[in-house]
Amino acid sequence: MNSKSKYDVVIIGGGHNGLVNAAYLARAGKKVLVLERRYVLGGAAVTEEVFPGFKFSVASYVVSLLRPEIIRELDLPRHGLEILPLDGTFTPMHGNYLWRVNDHAKTLREIARHSKLDAEAYDEYGKAMVEMGRFVKPILAMTPPDPTTLNLKGLRDLLFLGRRFQKLPYADQYNQVQLMTMSAVDFLDQWFETDVLKATMSASGIIGTFLGVRSPGTAYVLLHHYMGEIDGAFRSWGFARGGTGAISNAIAGAARELGVEIRTEAPIAKILLQRGQAKGVVLENGDEINASVVSSSVDPHLTFIRMVGKENLPEDFVEDINRYKFRGSSGKVNLALDGLPDFTCLPGNGKHLRGAISISPSVEHMERAYDDAKYGRFSRRPYIDMVIPTLTDPSVAPPGKHIMSCFVQYAPYHLKEGTWEEKREPFGDTVIDTIAEYAPNIRNLILHRQVLTPLDIEQKFGLTEGNIFQGELTLEQLFFLRPAPGWAQYRTPIRNLYMCGSATHPGGGIMGAPGLNAAKMILADWKRGRI
Amino acid sequence: MATSNNQVIIVGAGHNGLIVAFYLAKAGLRPLVLERRHIIGGSAVTEELHPGFRCPTVQHSLGPMIPKVVADLQLEKNGLGMITPDVRVFAPRLEGPPVCLYQDASRTARALETISSHDAKAYPKFLSSFAAIGKVLEPVMSMTPPSINEPAKESLWELAKLGMKFRGLSKKDAFRLLRWVPMAVADLAAEWFETETLRAIIAARGVYCSLAGPWSAGTSSGLLMQAALNGNAIAPSLFVKGGIGSLTQSIATSATAAGAQIRTGVHVKSIQVDGGKVSGVVLSNGEEIAATTVISNADPRSTYLNLLDPVELDPDFRMRIHNYRCMGSSAKVNLALSDLPEFIGTKSDRAIMAGRIHIGPEIDYLEQAYDAAKYGAPSPHPFLDITIPSLTDPSLAPQGGHVMSIHVQYTPFKLKSGDWNLHRKALGETVIKTLSEYAPNVNGLIIAQQVLTPLDLEEQFGLSGGHILHGEPSLDQLFAFRPLHGWAQYRSPIKGLYLCGSGTHPGGGVTGAPGFNAGREILKDLKA
Repeated sequence: MNSKSKYDVVIIGGGHNGLVNAAYLARAGKKVLVLERRYVLGGAAVTEEVFPGFKFSVASYVVSLLRPEIIRELDLPRHGLEILPLDGTFTPMHGNYLWRVNDHAKTLREIARHSKLDAEAYDEYGKAMVEMGRFVKPILAMTPPDPTTLNLKGLRDLLFLGRRFQKLPYADQYNQVQLMTMSAVDFLDQWFETDVLKATMSASGIIGTFLGVRSPGTAYVLLHHYMGEIDGAFRSWGFARGGTGAISNAIAGAARELGVEIRTEAPIAKILLQRGQAKGVVLENGDEINASVVSSSVDPHLTFIRMVGKENLPEDFVEDINRYKFRGSSGKVNLALDGLPDFTCLPGNGKHLRGAISISPSVEHMERAYDDAKYGRFSRRPYIDMVIPTLTDPSVAPPGKHIMSCFVQYAPYHLKEGTWEEKREPFGDTVIDTIAEYAPNIRNLILHRQVLTPLDIEQKFGLTEGNIFQGELTLEQLFFLRPAPGWAQYRTPIRNLYMCGSATHPGGGIMGAPGLNAAKMILADWKRGRI
Repeated sequence: MATSNNQVIIVGAGHNGLIVAFYLAKAGLRPLVLERRHIIGGSAVTEELHPGFRCPTVQHSLGPMIPKVVADLQLEKNGLGMITPDVRVFAPRLEGPPVCLYQDASRTARALETISSHDAKAYPKFLSSFAAIGKVLEPVMSMTPPSINEPAKESLWELAKLGMKFRGLSKKDAFRLLRWVPMAVADLAAEWFETETLRAIIAARGVYCSLAGPWSAGTSSGLLMQAALNGNAIAPSLFVKGGIGSLTQSIATSATAAGAQIRTGVHVKSIQVDGGKVSGVVLSNGEEIAATTVISNADPRSTYLNLLDPVELDPDFRMRIHNYRCMGSSAKVNLALSDLPEFIGTKSDRAIMAGRIHIGPEIDYLEQAYDAAKYGAPSPHPFLDITIPSLTDPSLAPQGGHVMSIHVQYTPFKLKSGDWNLHRKALGETVIKTLSEYAPNVNGLIIAQQVLTPLDLEEQFGLSGGHILHGEPSLDQLFAFRPLHGWAQYRSPIKGLYLCGSGTHPGGGVTGAPGFNAGREILKDLKA
């Protein structure tokens, strides 16, 4: 092994951001090594054969946010990336349903069945959100300025934002302010009257957060998810053929072609420091790897508290990192099925099963699910977002069988009573019971079931407190405050140590923007002679 | 028929309306203030609740008033006597000794020492951090929010000055300020303190009068506003001799001395507009008063949606005002008592009850109180913010008797079932029951009781949705967005119509700042 040989950059974690970071650095001629703790690449964007013949997107299960310039510049389709569109969202109710599809006219007719006014508003809403998305998009690719020590560049960036805002038409400005501050439900209340429509739409505002649909700040997350872009088409969601892991594999393929070396099953014990500067890493097996730069795609808790050590960091910074909120709030139930679920409100194996199936029948259902979590228990009747990828990509299960991926909220990491070890199966039962309220045959179809609690997500994927976004997407943890005040520029108090994961701007989701932005910052620092 | 040729009319004699009247009168105009009720004061009134018992009906503490207003109006010369009890907030607990915060920081720290030495140490740091941030924010209270699209030169200058002050903060405090604005107040309180009751006292200021719980994001901004007003994030205990109504009386004295006219018992039914310009008002008795300037102290919703003919406003503007969130969350229960109640764990210490009494021992208690309101029901265990004004001002009650003013949260204006006329009695009972847990003898002391539900607050005080602050103090409705983005400069789409109430920057509470700022902007226009 060439463990003594020196690399330009060693990257901690082979998740999609680590891999994007690696590919871009290699593209600029750097010698890069990626180290992944697990046997498989991808971090939370991973496909695993959990049960023989059934390949699950174990954690992250749909894709939408992946930056188009990354797909283009790394030529990901050539490396096997194929995105299959997800057709709409089906929300079963008792005695009725709401089924929105990619066919716009059809969706409008469906909404009109609930409310004519809402059908009209839906068009307006869609247009407004696209405008908002256009406004926010360039911010995703930007390194956040430090507002307390504004240099020329920082001032210019802030002015750029201000000017952009001023150029928006008044109605868009008004919407933008509301989106940044309001709750998803308050925001949607202004547009729509149909409860189930508001409930289902507001759901995207709470995914991965410890907030309810009525909590201020969730309207922004609504936009975060609305910005999804596949092949340049706004807000379409899809699956990767072969599961979410195929995305990571495609990025890894591109990275390898650019000369990146990737090692799996290489857990890191600590980051090597010399006179306060990072100079490499030490693996758990004792191997030392030297590098000019260490770029960490794991979360700040692991990076700083576990791998750097409190004693090597300024006290204020440690305080900020300890304060950084994870609060995992979601779980995952992966089911191997013998057939397809049959919904009482719309029986049969129709197309409604091909998209997302959302258990979000009312705003009150959503909010009560949150209330349980606030006081430290999993939701008695959770919000569930389900997909059946085998209907679009049969390759991931044996013939005639299906897999169903259920994202479940809320499951608070910190339980008031008991442990997740005890609650894992009761939690799984609650999820099945809730689904069975709408599709009673589900109980008889289950061949295998994998329940992932926030604790499992933490242990399996190295996501502290099971937060799928490496830290909450709340306003006080976004932009120039992510992950810590004063350290939102991908740099850290340790020279030559950088962050490139979802805990940096612009945050989580299979977006790749943190990895890309961090690569730009590292390369710029190199040019400046800081490295 | 026009009976007067006054050119400036102010609708509503709340403290902000009266302050505007003063500034306009001082500038040589003769504004006419029209008040619907038989007394002036709006939400800052003292009324007789039972023969011999006088109580602040709605608001019971000053915000405080911004010092410039107190000085300009010479309020102290005109009869304003301020009372600042030694105790700022006292929170009895069912288990353990009460938590008591004094005006004096070191006395508070000593008192906290018996409960938590961590918190005793953190308290002075908490105060000094907010004091530093409050200093930076102080000028924000008395500035006109900039128009984002066409910022005036002065407001750019003001913002630049603010930027300089901001840069004067330590890096730590600077980032605190940025981080705290959008944060949930429960998180902020937990960052500083470990005692649940202390956390709850701090959080209470962030959710006061608001339809939000301590876990709602953005509730920390209430603490920053409070710090901007008096350099301290904790709810103030600032009372007025004769009850808070004496404040508005003294403002009225200053205004009339300067040349303003005030008429009570006149209900403005509508504001007349002619060719996009204000032309006067019509009273409910049919009387018309011509005017070229009308300044509304009423909240934005009732000004724009009730007082104006819909055809005078752009439909989009009307829709946005319609969406202005103004659903009240609070009620008032006022009691006439035959004697002082005794709170558990106080050993009949009278002085400890002289400030605010906080019933809401935990963050979860406050949040659960809010949960009920989310689903359209009054809290079964409400948060209570109580004062006993007769303790520091015996003139408010007969010898030995007392008045107790109880602010009750949460009581959503819109109920899921029934209306407030059906729930009024139950609300009174819930409040007394909750209070009795902490002051067991109170039930036997009640001589008279007044319950003001959000519906009563709307009907009697003209507060839309019963919202005491004239609209939610949430981030999307503050500063340059209060009441609406583009219309935060006290002006309105109708020429000659202005807003000057709590529905404008910097919002509700008895501070006088909206009136002060509105007066300055209106005079600018009138002189131009």
